Amino acid sequence: MSEPTGVIHDIGYQRYTGPRLGRRHVFGGLWLHGLRTIFGLGRSAKAKIFPWLVIGIVTLVAAGITAIRSQTGEVVMTYAQFADAMSWLVIFFAAVAAPELVSRDLRSGVLPLYFSRPLPRGDYALAKLLALVAGLWLLLGGPQLVMFLGAAFATGDGLAGVRDEAFDLLPALLYAGLWAVVFASVGLLVASLTGKRAFAAGGVVAVFLMTTPIVGVLSILPSRTVNELAMLASPSTLVQGVGLFTLGDRLAPAGAADQMIGGFGPVYALGAVLLVAACVALLLLRYRKVAAR
Amino acid sequence: MSTVTWITARGLFGRRRFLMLLPLPAVLVALAVLCTSLGVDPREWGPPVLVGLGLAVVLPVVALVVGTGVLGAEIDDGTVVHVLTKPLPRWQIVLPKLAVATGVSAVTVAVPIVVAGVLADSVRLGVALAAASALGALAYSALFLALSLVTRRPVLLGLVYVLIWEGLLGRFVSGTRVLSVQQWVITLADRLAPTDLLTAAVSVPVAAVLTTLVAVGLTILAIDRLRSFSVAGETS
Repeated sequence: MSEPTGVIHDIGYQRYTGPRLGRRHVFGGLWLHGLRTIFGLGRSAKAKIFPWLVIGIVTLVAAGITAIRSQTGEVVMTYAQFADAMSWLVIFFAAVAAPELVSRDLRSGVLPLYFSRPLPRGDYALAKLLALVAGLWLLLGGPQLVMFLGAAFATGDGLAGVRDEAFDLLPALLYAGLWAVVFASVGLLVASLTGKRAFAAGGVVAVFLMTTPIVGVLSILPSRTVNELAMLASPSTLVQGVGLFTLGDRLAPAGAADQMIGGFGPVYALGAVLLVAACVALLLLRYRKVAAR
Repeated sequence: MSTVTWITARGLFGRRRFLMLLPLPAVLVALAVLCTSLGVDPREWGPPVLVGLGLAVVLPVVALVVGTGVLGAEIDDGTVVHVLTKPLPRWQIVLPKLAVATGVSAVTVAVPIVVAGVLADSVRLGVALAAASALGALAYSALFLALSLVTRRPVLLGLVYVLIWEGLLGRFVSGTRVLSVQQWVITLADRLAPTDLLTAAVSVPVAAVLTTLVAVGLTILAIDRLRSFSVAGETS
């Protein structure tokens, strides 16, 4: 049998025969990329300025509180109160991170590339949302861990003291998780509406700032019921309401919860769940529309 | 009316996102009307609505969105080149844009705050608040216009100023209040219509001088920065 003569070149085209990673890996990859984007990892120094500025301030405050506590023994802030006190910085961090996650993709028009992968529309939005939740939780949880380490090493009661601290820390970490979930879902929804990062950042802050004074006004109206329900009006006070209901004296002096939210604790918990659910549903709807375009 | 004024105004109002500015003043008026109709004591609802919402949130946020929008948006999408290549002195570009930004934010804030001020106390307080917030709008607009020329991320830096400097530090560290536009506005309004609703944190001359200094100085800085402005791509 003679050699085939019509062949010009065999340039070695091959099929890919390795393992094909599925939807779960696409989701995981997108999530990790999102998390790195939030903290500016793998990006230019300019992209790191704002996230690390916030992280620096938050950590500095935590270190200061720890130092005061170890020197004087006075507890300036409990772990849960720390999350409350940092709420403005969390808002700013969300305003920095949320537009980076979604607005850039909208603006540069790369969404069709994402959606040409085996990646359902919802997965993209959920991966970004979970990345932002993780980022915000790390922002609050990291400094709380710093405070815990400081308190644990300075405790005078040996292991029992460390255990008490840990039992204080764990609910506070869950509370920080609640902050992260609520702020991430609201922030990402607002940011996904516009491709301009500047406007997205302004919008996120406007939503959080505008609603806070409404709470202030509602809580002085001449109706006890309205006063006790006032904190539902703003995402940040809504979270505090849930915290007052579930954490009790870890967050505020005894009796404060009764005065501020009365018997409406379950309403606050329900409100938080509904808010998150509504934001996630709207976000998924938004991405169904973006993907169809 | 120069062409730059007209282009800037059309750039602001021609887009749908201009509607984003409307809810803020609407909430301010709605809360003031709600409190009055329910007969709440103005001394109780005055500070949270007039200062907490009006001067501390609506004024800076509106001025931030508008002030960075008049020039920052053009720099962002690169169309600023078309204005820069025209044979215009730089001040003829900066001043009309500053005027539009100040005018738009002053009107957006003054209208609801006059209503709220009249409902809270008197016509005098309403007018005083409107005048003071117009001056505040000038200072904020000059600040944010200059920011959009010295940095590529003007909105975030503006938010750092509004949230962290005025909001967070202004509450805990009283020293920073001397350098806060919000406190100057409160001081000026309190001087024009003395009531017990507003508490001035700085003296009147300091507030007046610093407001003028910021407005003039930052405008000159903006004109100077625009002289040596280099067009670059979007930041990563």
